[in-house]
Amino acid sequence: MSSKTAFSNLISELGEIASWSYAETASHLPPERPAVGYFCPYVPEELIQAGRAIPIRLMDTPIKISHAQAHLPAYCCHLVKSALENYLRGDLDFLQGIIFSQSCDSMKGLADIWALKGRLSFQFNLMVPTRLDSPLARDYFKIELEGLKKTLEERFGEISRQSLQEANRLFNQIRKQLGGVYARMRQDPLRLSGTDLAQIVQAGYRLDRERYLDSLNRLLELWPDHPEGKSPDVPLFLTGNMAHSAGWFSLIEEAGGRIVQDDLCSGGRTLRLMVKEDQDPLEALVDRYFNTYFCPTKYQGPLAHQETLFKEVRESGAKGVIFLFFKFCEPYYFDYPDLKKFLEAQGLPTLLLEIEDPSQAREQLKLRIQAFVEMLS
Amino acid sequence: MPQTSPKESSYREIRSLKDYRRLMKSYYLIAKNPRWFGKKVAWITSGGAVEPLYAMGVLPFYPENYGAMCGASRTSVSLCETAEAQGYSRDLCSYARCDIGSSLSGKGPLGVLPKPDFLVCGNNICGTVIKWYEIQARAFQVPLFFLDTPFIHNELEAHTVTYVRKQMEEYIAFLEKTVKGPFSEKRFLKVSARSLEAVRLWKEVLELSRHRPAPFAAFDAFIHMAPIVTLRGTRWAVWYYRKLKKELEARVKNKEGAFAREELRLIWDNIPIWYDIRNLSKMLFRHGAVLVADTYTSAWTLKPVDLGNPLESLSRSYASVHLNLGLEHKVTKMVSLMEDYQADGFIMHSNRSCKTYSLNQYDLKKKVSERTGKPGLIIEADHTDSRSYAAAQVEKQIETFVEMAKKR
Repeated sequence: MSSKTAFSNLISELGEIASWSYAETASHLPPERPAVGYFCPYVPEELIQAGRAIPIRLMDTPIKISHAQAHLPAYCCHLVKSALENYLRGDLDFLQGIIFSQSCDSMKGLADIWALKGRLSFQFNLMVPTRLDSPLARDYFKIELEGLKKTLEERFGEISRQSLQEANRLFNQIRKQLGGVYARMRQDPLRLSGTDLAQIVQAGYRLDRERYLDSLNRLLELWPDHPEGKSPDVPLFLTGNMAHSAGWFSLIEEAGGRIVQDDLCSGGRTLRLMVKEDQDPLEALVDRYFNTYFCPTKYQGPLAHQETLFKEVRESGAKGVIFLFFKFCEPYYFDYPDLKKFLEAQGLPTLLLEIEDPSQAREQLKLRIQAFVEMLS
Repeated sequence: MPQTSPKESSYREIRSLKDYRRLMKSYYLIAKNPRWFGKKVAWITSGGAVEPLYAMGVLPFYPENYGAMCGASRTSVSLCETAEAQGYSRDLCSYARCDIGSSLSGKGPLGVLPKPDFLVCGNNICGTVIKWYEIQARAFQVPLFFLDTPFIHNELEAHTVTYVRKQMEEYIAFLEKTVKGPFSEKRFLKVSARSLEAVRLWKEVLELSRHRPAPFAAFDAFIHMAPIVTLRGTRWAVWYYRKLKKELEARVKNKEGAFAREELRLIWDNIPIWYDIRNLSKMLFRHGAVLVADTYTSAWTLKPVDLGNPLESLSRSYASVHLNLGLEHKVTKMVSLMEDYQADGFIMHSNRSCKTYSLNQYDLKKKVSERTGKPGLIIEADHTDSRSYAAAQVEKQIETFVEMAKKR
């Protein structure tokens, strides 16, 4: 098999993993390792990994909402609704436990409903401070992380300093290699589409991470040295929340856009979460959340979101920015008008796409993206 | 707002209302013209720690109260539209949209809002306020102090109290720096004592409605809550609630209810539908139903301040306000209200603008009904944006519910 074919096969393989249902995900997990669910990158996957469990990130799924309607009002986002639907249907029963982190008001509410139903054997609510500009918050968060570590140890056995160091290294490697994939995609855009990239990202949340790192390593090794050519499509930056369904990426690409970078909280933004390897591993995990701006649910000064986003957009070489937000997501919608104004004042046109279920009608959104792309062409 | 009109409702107007109006008028006169009174103005969230502000001689201004005012005066929709024209989604909290719209246009029931010298934001009521205050910090280019109170799903833990208390110390240092003056412990104790007294009085006022008939309906409480939010820590709040309590005690003695007819006692959950209070009040009365208590106004019956250790006890108090507590706590509180006020049922406002309050109401309703055996109703609206309100449908729902509850 030629390396070009192996490269294509690997992309297809990761694409297939990204499309797994939760049942398929469960059937592919190593039976000796328990699976633990989480939603938000403020839950350190490294701790779960160090506890010999497999972290499974719960994301929005294209699912018909029926059971969840008895618990949630209409005005909460699809992520919350679909996650609860999956949970109530029993799709997540393969999880040993769930770790919630304090983020938005809807997730706080979801955590309480989750606990009330009690389908999983344990639930830990990690109280991530909202204020991440203060040493007081750091001290508080460290105690919270110690509490999480203790809970995981009670369930799965001791988490040694060495195992946590190894987990930190593993996830740093994943971030490094994923960052490499983003960079290669920018240089060689015809080789890997944004849709493929979205699937590669999603696959990472469904797999044993050692296997995932191996896939990323192979992908970069197999990547042909010579670029396939230049893309005529308009380079775009995609910003928003946890909306890494490949469908949104393919929609943008079908409309003539090319995603050169994203800062979705399931994608490019996680590259900011590198952990220092030369200090105490738990301290290092705490520190990383205070060293970078990550999420609009947190406070790190009134300009933190704007400055971080602008810097990354500039570095990406994008000609425009697409905001991709779940409907009813307050933290993002509050930030949007000032971000839009600021980016446009810097000569970067923007487009807002409000999304709900990934299976929703695409044509109207596609027309809007086409008009945006034409304007930038 | 309920008005005296025996023919239409046999509602008994609170005599102290005149004093209430005078008091709030005076407050807004100072708030509108702080320089005349040599005051700095801080915009603060409704669950924010106001005592240090009064101790420093700073006047607090409450954008959420202002949002309620916009709702009650039915001016909120145009202000929301101003914010929406700037890109703020209609799905965002309408208090925030009112405030942003008003700040941008200079319009609204108070005209141009008093410019803040600084902002104080506490997230013990919701995550919305963090974003809202960031926006205003950028718009007015003023400092923002953010007091972080982690949500309490289960118990208030020792490290949470320590975190909040240390932030209170930081808050005081922030005030000293921003106001450019020393923080007086003596003055703070005095303010805290007044706060304690006002909170105690407000609690007692609300608890008088445990009597039958209830002398003070929730619709009254929605109006008369303004001083406990705005003037907590001043002698004016103490003065006013003493007067109000005296009046209501006389009602209890004379067996006079807020309404002449009280066949059904109900509890209200969530922020009021400000633009429809009067209509709902009248409609309930027509069916002999009275809202005798609510989860909203009772949120300011904060845990008592320990004057021996005011900073610590304020920290505990502000960290554990109603909206910062998880579902089990909310169930316990609703069940207590149902029992203590001998209620026959409850109405829950599913409020599009307040996810913290509304997200778990379906489970809350189920649990409270299971534990009390009493029926509940969920109605959909928005606290100030009347575009999200189908009045006729809600009225029909309430009528059906009340008739059903009476038959039980």
